[in-house]
Formats: sequence, structure tokens, C-alpha cells
Amino acid sequence: MAAMTHARILCALLLCGCVGTESSSDKNTGGTLAISTGGDPDVLIPSLVQRVQAAQITDMMFDRLADIGDSLNILNDKGFTPRLADHWTWSADSLSIAFHINPKAKWHDDAPVRSNDVRFTITSTKDTTLGSPNAALLTNIDSVSTPDSATAVFWFHSRSPQQFYDAVYLLPIMPEHVWKPIPPASWRTSDAARNPIGSGQYRFVRWIPRAAVELVADTANYRGAPNLRRLIWSIAPDFQGAVTRFLTGETDFFEALRLENLPEVAKHPELSTRQYHALQYLFAQFNLRDPAHHDRPHPLFGNRELRRALTMAIDRPTLVKSVYGSFALPALGPTVRSYPTTDPNLAQIPFDLPRARQILDSLGWRVSTSDSVRRRNGRPLQFTLSVPSSSKVRVQTAVILQEQLRQAGAKMDVEQLEFPALMEKASKRAFDMTINQLNTQPSPGAVLGSWGIGGSRASSGNNSSSYENPAFDANVDSALASFDPAKRKAYFTSAYETIIQDAPAIWLAEPSPVVGYHSRLQLATLRPDAWWIHIPEWSITADKRIPRDNTPASTTVPPALPAGQKTP
Amino acid sequence: MIRQIAQRLVQAAVIVAIVAVITFILIHLAPGDPFSAVMDNPNVSEAVRQTLRVQYGLDRPLPEQFARYVSSLAHGELGWSFSHARPVREVLGSALPNTLLLMGVALVGSFTLGILIALIQVARRGSVTDHALSGISLFLFSMPDFWFVILSLLAFTYWLPIFPVGGAVDLVMHEYMGLGGRIVDRLRHLALPAITLTVLASAAVARYQRAALLDVLPADYIRTARLKGLTERQILRRHALRNALLPIITMIGLSFPALLTGAFFVEKIFAWPGMGYAVVNAIGTRDYPLVVGGVIIGSIMVTLGSLLADLLYALADPRLRGR
Repeated sequence: MAAMTHARILCALLLCGCVGTESSSDKNTGGTLAISTGGDPDVLIPSLVQRVQAAQITDMMFDRLADIGDSLNILNDKGFTPRLADHWTWSADSLSIAFHINPKAKWHDDAPVRSNDVRFTITSTKDTTLGSPNAALLTNIDSVSTPDSATAVFWFHSRSPQQFYDAVYLLPIMPEHVWKPIPPASWRTSDAARNPIGSGQYRFVRWIPRAAVELVADTANYRGAPNLRRLIWSIAPDFQGAVTRFLTGETDFFEALRLENLPEVAKHPELSTRQYHALQYLFAQFNLRDPAHHDRPHPLFGNRELRRALTMAIDRPTLVKSVYGSFALPALGPTVRSYPTTDPNLAQIPFDLPRARQILDSLGWRVSTSDSVRRRNGRPLQFTLSVPSSSKVRVQTAVILQEQLRQAGAKMDVEQLEFPALMEKASKRAFDMTINQLNTQPSPGAVLGSWGIGGSRASSGNNSSSYENPAFDANVDSALASFDPAKRKAYFTSAYETIIQDAPAIWLAEPSPVVGYHSRLQLATLRPDAWWIHIPEWSITADKRIPRDNTPASTTVPPALPAGQKTP
Repeated sequence: MIRQIAQRLVQAAVIVAIVAVITFILIHLAPGDPFSAVMDNPNVSEAVRQTLRVQYGLDRPLPEQFARYVSSLAHGELGWSFSHARPVREVLGSALPNTLLLMGVALVGSFTLGILIALIQVARRGSVTDHALSGISLFLFSMPDFWFVILSLLAFTYWLPIFPVGGAVDLVMHEYMGLGGRIVDRLRHLALPAITLTVLASAAVARYQRAALLDVLPADYIRTARLKGLTERQILRRHALRNALLPIITMIGLSFPALLTGAFFVEKIFAWPGMGYAVVNAIGTRDYPLVVGGVIIGSIMVTLGSLLADLLYALADPRLRGR
């Protein structure tokens, strides 16, 4: 059967004449990558993407003006490499940057990429009727002017160390001629959203909901053809199903192996694993405001010393080892080790159970004789931790936290909720404690949205803990305004130490995910912010290819042979 | 008969409408909404979520949302699926054939297998075979569906790799196969989910059918048949089975909703792109239009299934034809 299929593919190759388009001398050009993933993308419009699957796919189809580079430097333009812009020029006062568009750059419908596309991308993203998650991050960009069709000039409100990053990292450029005729509020439901046209090294072929998304190489791309000819995201909603697809060879890549999968992967010599640092951290956050009356402090967690005592009762290294094995390190704070601004030796609240008990005693929380739960004025030290039932990691973490807090005399009930129900509680700040995970970006400045005063006081803010400390905000602001890397790091260190000592959360884990892949694949660097970004450089040498690697690199499906017809 | 069918169809339409209204209200009352599920992305602020709610009219009072939904329904539109980024009509249109294929095969397979097992058991009642088959069917009947499905997946795709892991076709190679290859590919992908569902459902059928057969065996007409000199096999096939099928026909009607929703685990674990998983997943993501659309289609199928069972019942039992 396999031989027959193989023969048919060869025949199909001959029929559609695609063999001639591929350089036979290039051993690395060709092959299919099938990626196991857990869900559909939410939308394939770069400025509206929210889910990671959508980010992976749109990053292959749409190019930015410049790429941040593997160092993830965000200061000025150091480390950034040309993409749609082949070069750029800073103005003398640094309040504008002129990007020159690569004249060879074309959209997948053959229209040339123009400076108008750049201006349109920025203005449409800032349009509040569109509802782009990136709009709030473009506030320093005043406007984009287009003196000619090949030059887009970004004008900034103020000079900032990361203004170049703001201009290029957040937004892949979108084609004006496709999107301008459509009202922003109708973008998601438009036909264009389902047949996206980009300028990246891969073109869109099809999206079959709950089944697959397929892209093919844009062989005429201005950056050159990518090595792999086909990319397929194979959607398997069940984790076990997705892993089994990978283990049986139906897919080539699985991005989120769990500890228990490693022995099984090791049994397959054709499979390999690789660990990488991701920009994620897991934390158990306290609600500092009363869930019923937001104008009052939380009856328990409004007290800083109580939060510190509970944090001190948690043996984080043991917890992390139990849940993640070697797949994570204890988190340092609201940051990740990959940031150059993060000091890996940040002072932590240490695990010290006897000291935690002493503090609780001194706060008046005494162990009851009837049970082991502490009480003060008749009120038990009891609260609820809400976790999403769909997250195995968070449920496991909750159970360990419960046991460790019990030893300190605190009774923590674990409430498992559906994800939307949990999010409703978080956005209304109607919880005692939750376990949350944040996927951050290369800029550590995002910390202000999650832990700053602005995010706490705005009704639409994401600081659901309602943590507020002006010293923290001031240090982050100073860090973000500083052009000197050493000073920047010092300010951030001071900010992190402030929030760690205030303990609005127990900083639990910084995951280092392990990906599994078929050994015939030659991977490039897995970048912390986006492991997929170098997929165009991945390759499969000709001698290691399997039948699915030899399907034609064409956006049109070749004619199938009639049933039973013999192949040459 | 035609008047009775017309009456039943009117009743069915009323039931579907009531079910749709109740579903619409309940799913909107559940905590959270379609845009509350992206909390781990710090860029997605409450302001962004609010803009999206306005875009889709979810900021309007519930009666207004309902009126709009009914209006679009009257125009043949089931709304927009937030989780699939396409019209609900299209989502269900692609899922329904897959569900009907899987359900149809499983329904025919499970009833055929269940009746066959029951016949063997009754023909050899009291024997080791009877006890063994009773034990197996009881074991399968009481086994949690999701566990059995995962076990099937591991057993026949990984430990003994006979079948593909999931999906309705091989998405990488299907388009490059010939017609024969495509048919074989589809059948290979259908086989394991269908066999799993068949085995799970046939256990119940076998137990019901065995009990029904044992009920009719002491009847006078069976004794008469025996006195006429018919063999035990002839008696079972021609007389006992025909009369014992009546409760099974009722079961067929009841199996429609069970198979539609009961296939959830099979569809999820085998990544079968059918209705069960689409609708159940839509509840979790608060994809309101898809939930209500799925329930409408599901309740139409259930009421039609029930009507079909009644018609079959009337055909099988002449005493009911005049009622």
C-alpha cells in the first residue's frame, strides 16, 4: 500500500511538472513538516491573533519590517535583521525612523508590498473598532507617513529605548488592497480572513476546522524559498491523541511533551527531544481586595505579612520538581530568566516553615485545638484556590499547595472551574486565589499591565490581584526609560525585589518546555518567544525523506490517478 | 397514518423550538463568554474583550440578542461560530455528514452484533458460552466510555499499529491518492472509531435483546411452533426474534440522542470531526451560536428518530397500526 502510494506521488510529481521547479542539487530543499497541535487558530489576521496556534501560522505567512533576532534585544535596533524593510534610517532627534521597503517584496497575490501597506497596518490596528490586542502597545507611535511607495516613516511621541521594537515586533505587515475595502468590525467574518494573503515564506492553502491547517512554500519569495515545502498543523483536541500521533509517526513535531511521555519517546530511535526556554511563568496570585466589596482590602490577603508567611510555607523547588520534573525552574518573580534585565540571583522569600508558623502566630492566627486550622477571633484561616479543571499542571500544583499550606495551619479549598467561568471570576476579581500562567513578550515592560497600578485601577485592567505599589511602578518606568543596559537592569532588579517582598503572588515555576521531533528533521534555534520562527530554515536531507516529504510544493492539488491505474 | 405523522411533525417543531429557547437562555446565563478565555495573553485586555462583545452584539440585553437570533434564524442563518471563525451553518454542515457516517455504521453494527450475541446466548442458554458472553457484555456495559476509547486508541494504533490514530482521512496524503486509495483511506480512519462505538453500544443491545427473547420463549405460540416440529434455530429466528424485536425498535429511537452525544469521547480522542465534539467543545468555549445551532440540529434528529422508531414499531406490531 505504502509503495503504491509512493509511486502515485511520483507520478503526480511528473504529471504536474513540479519536479523541474525544485533544484535537485539542493539536498535540503523539500519535505513536509506535520505538527501536532491541540486546537484551531482563532483567526488568521495578524493584528487580531490571540491564540498561539494562530501566531505560529501567521508568522509563517506574514513578514515584519525587521526581525528581532535570537538575542531578543529590544534596545534600539541592535540585533534586528531586515525583513520587509531592507534598511532603515533614524532621524537626528530619534523621533522618527524611515523604513525602506525591499523592492522585491510581493504579496502572495503578486501585488508589490508598498509603504501604504505599512501605514495601513498601523492605523487599522490602532482603530478601536477593530479590537486588536496590540492597539494598546502602539501608543508611542504617533503616525506613519509615506513620502514614496518604498518608504514608510514612523513618527513617535517620545524617544524611547524600545521604540524600534514597538514599531517592528508587534505587527506583521498586512496588505492594504485586501483589507481596506472591508469595515474593521467585519474583518473576522470576511472571506479574506479565511483565505489570508501574506508576504512570508509560506502561502496559505487550506484550513479545515478541527482537522488541519496547511501552508506551502512560496518558492518565489523575496527572501528565497524555505527548505521545507509543506507545513501542516494537524489538530488533535485530545492530548493523548496528539501524543500518539507523534509517537506513531503520523506527525513530525510535538511542542508540549509532558514528563510522563519521555520514556515512551525514548523507545523510538527515530524520535528526538529538545528543551528550550520559554517566556512563561506560573504563579498563584492572591486577591488583595475583598471579592464582595472591592473598595475594601481582602480580609486575609490584604495583610502583607500574612501573604509573606503563606509564601514562606511553600517549598517551591520541591513543588516544581514534583509537577514538572526537569521541565521547569522555580520562578524568580514576575519575569523570566531569558530577559537580559533579569538578575538570576534575585532575593526570594525563603522556604521556612517554622518561621512561617511564627509569623502566623504573631499575627494572631493560632492553631485550634479542635482541628489543625488556625483561627483568629473565631475566624478560620480558610480560603479558596480557583483553578481551571482543564489544566493538569495547575490542578496538580493546587493539590501540592494545599498540602504544604495545611502544614502551616491554613485550610485551602481547591475549586476546579471551567476556563470561561474562572476567567469571569478573575475579570470581576471575585476570587481569593487563582493559579495563572502568563506568556510574556521580549519586552519586560509588559509586567506593568499585569502588576502595575494602571492595570489595577482601570476597570478593564489585567492586574486582577489589585496589587499596587508606587515604588514598583516607578522602578519599572525608570527601567523602561533608560538607555543604559546596566541601569535598566538595576531598576528592574529593584522593581522585582519590591514585588517579591510584597508577595502579591507565590511565584511558582518558569517552564522550559520539551519539544519532540522526528530525527530526520534538522532544527534551527528554538527561540524563547516563538519556537517556530525559524521553521523556514529547518530541513530534511534528501536521503532521509519519507513518502509524505515528496508531495509537490504546489498550492494546487495535483490530479489524482483513477482508481486501480498502474503507475510507471 | 399521514395525519398522525403530520401531528407528530408539528409536535416535533414545538419541541425543537422550546429546546432552542431553553438552550439559548441557559448558555447565556453560564459564567464567562466567548472572549473571556484568553487570560494568559497579557495583551488581551478587558477593553479588547469589550470591543469584541460590541462587534458581535453580546453587549446587548439578552431579549434583544434572542430577537436578533430568531430573526437571523428566520433568514436561514444559524449565526457565526466564534471558535471556528466561520458560519455555524458551515461548521455543522461539515460535521454532520461525519457524524451520520460514524453513527450510521455504529448503529447498524451495534444492533446487528448485539442481536447476534443475544441469539447465541439464548440458543445456548445456561451454557458456558452464555455466561461468558453475559459477563463480557456486562463488563463492556459498565466500563467508562472514555477509558475504553483511550484503551482502543493505544491498543490498535500504538501497541498494535493496525489503524491510523485519528481524523477522518490522512490529511497529509489524502489529496494525492487515487479514488481507490481515498476510499481505503477513509475506511481505515472510520474503522477504529466505528468498531469502538459498535462494541460499546452492542453490549447494551445484547443484554436487552437476550432479556426480550427469554420473555417470549415461554409464550404459547412458541410452544405451538415446537409442537409443529420446528427446530430450535427456526423457532428463534422466525417466531421469537420477530416478537422480541419490539423493545429493540424502541431502543433504536432512544439511541439517536445517545449516539449523538455519546460519541463525544470517540470524536475527541480519535479527532473525528463530527458534531458531538464540536458542540460539547462549544459549550466550554461559550460559542453561543454553535451551541444553539448544534442543539437545534440535534433535537431535530432526535425527534425524527423517535418518529421513525414509532413508525417502525407500528409496522412491526399490527396491533398499533390503528392507534
